[in-house]
Amino acid sequence: MQLEISNLRKAYGATVALDGVSFTATAPQFVCMLGPSGCGKTTLLRMIAGLVAPDSGRLLLNSEDLTRVPARRRGFGIVFQSYSLFPNMTVAENIGYGLRIRGDEAQRVRIRVLELLDVIRLSELADRYPWQLSGGQQQRVALARAIAAEPRLLLLDEPLSALDAKVRTDLRTEIRNLQQQLGLLTIMVTHDQEEALTLADRVVCMRQGSIAQAGSPEDLYRRPANRFVADFMGLSNMIPLETVQKFAAQLLEGHVPSDGATACVRPEDIVLVSGGAGATVKSVQFLGNISRVQVAWPGGELVAEQPGMAALAAGANVGLAFKPGGCAWVSAS
Amino acid sequence: MGIGIVTSIGIPRARDTDRLFLILCLVVPLSALILFFVYPLATVVVHSVTEPDGRIGFGNYATVISQPNFWRATANSMVMSLATTAVSLILGLIIAFATQRCRIAGRSLVLAAVALPLLAPSLVQGLGLIFLLGRNGLVTKALGVEFNIYGFWGLLIANSLYALPQAVLIIAAALRSADARVYEAAEVLGTSKLRQFFDITLPNIKFGLLSAGFIIFTVTITDFGNAATIGGDYAILATEIYGQVVGQMNFNLGAVVGIMLLLPTMLAFYLERVATQRQFGSGSDSAVPLVPGWSPARDIPMTVVAWIIALLPLITIGIVVYASFVWLWPYRFDLTVRHYAVKIAGGYEPLWTTVQISLLAAFAGAVMLFALGFALQRLPRSLVKPVYFLSLLPAAVPGLVLGLAYILTFNAASGPWQLLYGTAALLAICNMMHYWTQGFLTTMTGLRQVPAALEETAACLGAGLPRVMREVTGPLMAQTLISVFFFLFMRSMVTLSAVIFLVTASVSVASVSIMRLDEAGFTAQAAAFATCTMAVVIVAAGVMQLSLYLLGRRRR
Repeated sequence: MQLEISNLRKAYGATVALDGVSFTATAPQFVCMLGPSGCGKTTLLRMIAGLVAPDSGRLLLNSEDLTRVPARRRGFGIVFQSYSLFPNMTVAENIGYGLRIRGDEAQRVRIRVLELLDVIRLSELADRYPWQLSGGQQQRVALARAIAAEPRLLLLDEPLSALDAKVRTDLRTEIRNLQQQLGLLTIMVTHDQEEALTLADRVVCMRQGSIAQAGSPEDLYRRPANRFVADFMGLSNMIPLETVQKFAAQLLEGHVPSDGATACVRPEDIVLVSGGAGATVKSVQFLGNISRVQVAWPGGELVAEQPGMAALAAGANVGLAFKPGGCAWVSAS
Repeated sequence: MGIGIVTSIGIPRARDTDRLFLILCLVVPLSALILFFVYPLATVVVHSVTEPDGRIGFGNYATVISQPNFWRATANSMVMSLATTAVSLILGLIIAFATQRCRIAGRSLVLAAVALPLLAPSLVQGLGLIFLLGRNGLVTKALGVEFNIYGFWGLLIANSLYALPQAVLIIAAALRSADARVYEAAEVLGTSKLRQFFDITLPNIKFGLLSAGFIIFTVTITDFGNAATIGGDYAILATEIYGQVVGQMNFNLGAVVGIMLLLPTMLAFYLERVATQRQFGSGSDSAVPLVPGWSPARDIPMTVVAWIIALLPLITIGIVVYASFVWLWPYRFDLTVRHYAVKIAGGYEPLWTTVQISLLAAFAGAVMLFALGFALQRLPRSLVKPVYFLSLLPAAVPGLVLGLAYILTFNAASGPWQLLYGTAALLAICNMMHYWTQGFLTTMTGLRQVPAALEETAACLGAGLPRVMREVTGPLMAQTLISVFFFLFMRSMVTLSAVIFLVTASVSVASVSIMRLDEAGFTAQAAAFATCTMAVVIVAAGVMQLSLYLLGRRRR
């Protein structure tokens, strides 16, 4: 199963929601579309689903042109943030809905529903109505409903955003396992970069209707293509080239960056040497598993992270070291 | 585990039935709107500019404008409507404030009593006042003084009672949308209750009051029933139209007066929409609801005042029911059912006709409005806006003008439309159009509350639009559609103004029978007929509440 998107464009009046987006994804990939709100990721997902028509561009699945095929003929499964279970149907009826639409006979639908109830471990709730379920349970039912009719593609629109932190991590694992078992090409929209990093085989980071960078989670985190991606994917220290040349030449590692480039150094790649000199601790935040330390050095301010509780106090003098290979160079824009 | 992915290949690209369905959903109600609203109204305009010799010109306008009667009726209509607006607005504010912001005894009884006029033909207020304050009225006899209830004062009271329920509904809704935290902040700042009322409450419901005011104005200036029973010599525009058409058979002059009446109602309706937008357009869901605490100094006087106001409609309508059972008003108060043997042509036939007409109007209206709303949600904005606008217009057209439009259109000597004239179906269509706007607005509000994601999920699961409507949108809209159905049914049961021109000897309606009985001097029989009509409407209201309750219970 291969999804090929080429040059999709969509404008609402003067606002350009999608500005010529292209990418390809192949089963069993898990693709996360990531970006701040208004970047076009949801529009893109809805376009793949067939709920929004593109102004131009093409959408192919296994070289079958789906651009003008309505949503109901695409055979995709979709899960929304708001659960979106049919309130007038039981859990079992919700799960079997797509099968009944397809015209499966009652017995087959029943067997398939039982199977899926078993997968999402909610067999005992088959006859409940959606409002009798917790958020996490509702979303599992929505997931079962989406995969019941063996979709060619699974689309997830911020499926975890409405859930509590604990339920969210559990369901995250569940979704990933299910997707792997089914070998199902899955596309998920999220604004949570941690979610994208943990779930995805490929991350498509979007900005203002275009793709800022697409690649493996590691690519985006370790080798951001531009300043936007570096900024968006977790915390990073952005150090202008002149500052590096003046105060931290070791970061160059034989590199010759172009003019106006910026060094992107992750906080965990900065090592603070207590008792050393060259920088002053401004503040220390204890976050549980790590401590985040704000330091002042001649090149400005930096954020460093250390595992556990840092044995540093504000005002302490520290030495500064950069882990080798921890610096990525990004262009100015 | 058994969940393998079966690759579905070659999904059939059948012709797009969805498109066809959407077009159907749009075209059927839209045609109804054009054929039974726009076209008749255009006919009125044409007639108003058709001179006696058949040429086009403004001669009719010149004739009407030169008549002192017309100017008197216009002035009377304006004075009456403004006076009613003032009275109902004040009474409405008191009732709304008492029931929303105070803890008064018998809160729901007060609300029910005030809502009574909605369940009765508008003539009933007039009848009730005659039984109380007329020459043979209870109060008149008890006090031994002679009021002249026919005329300005009688009409003012009747109109005020008639408009009160709508005023209370709107003002109460505006009061409900308040945020308790604002009042808590004022309390902490040491603001007195009186200042809180003038500095917070009133400014917050400003647009609600305006909206209520315009509604009262429109309801009053277009009402015909009260004026017909208790207006006496106090001529207003509505009775003027009726007189021109029925009395003098002068349709073209009637059309002119109708268009003149259209101007203030259009304006009032437009302003009402603007005010409603300002009051309710930006409601925030995060407001903390205000729950009034018990405050004797405020609540005891408010209970008394609210009950005095609530007793007015209760007594006025109650006396009609009572009078219908009295042997000979006001001389012999033995109870009897003899007045229920109605001696007018057709007997109770018109009541059953009205039930059928109302069922038809309610059913056709609810179905068409649902279809139209469903289509509007899926059509491009450029198409939605004009249709939306068109659907708002019927509320601005007085019933008498609509009725006049129908005779001018469907009683024409020739043409296929003549087949409809004199049928119950035409009366049903007329009622549906008369109350189209309120039904439309309720339907659209209901549709906006159906989450788009549900319909989209169904689409992704392969459901076509007919199926989405039947299995997803329909069940979620059930309560709204039931409300729209019963709203149309109850209004159709009691309306007089639009249908007065359309009834014939063989097809007539209940409110017309009441008016004819009253005109013929059979007041007790008119009361009996009115009581039967109200009974049907109250049963309908009960069935509505029951079905909404059952639906609500099934849902949660």
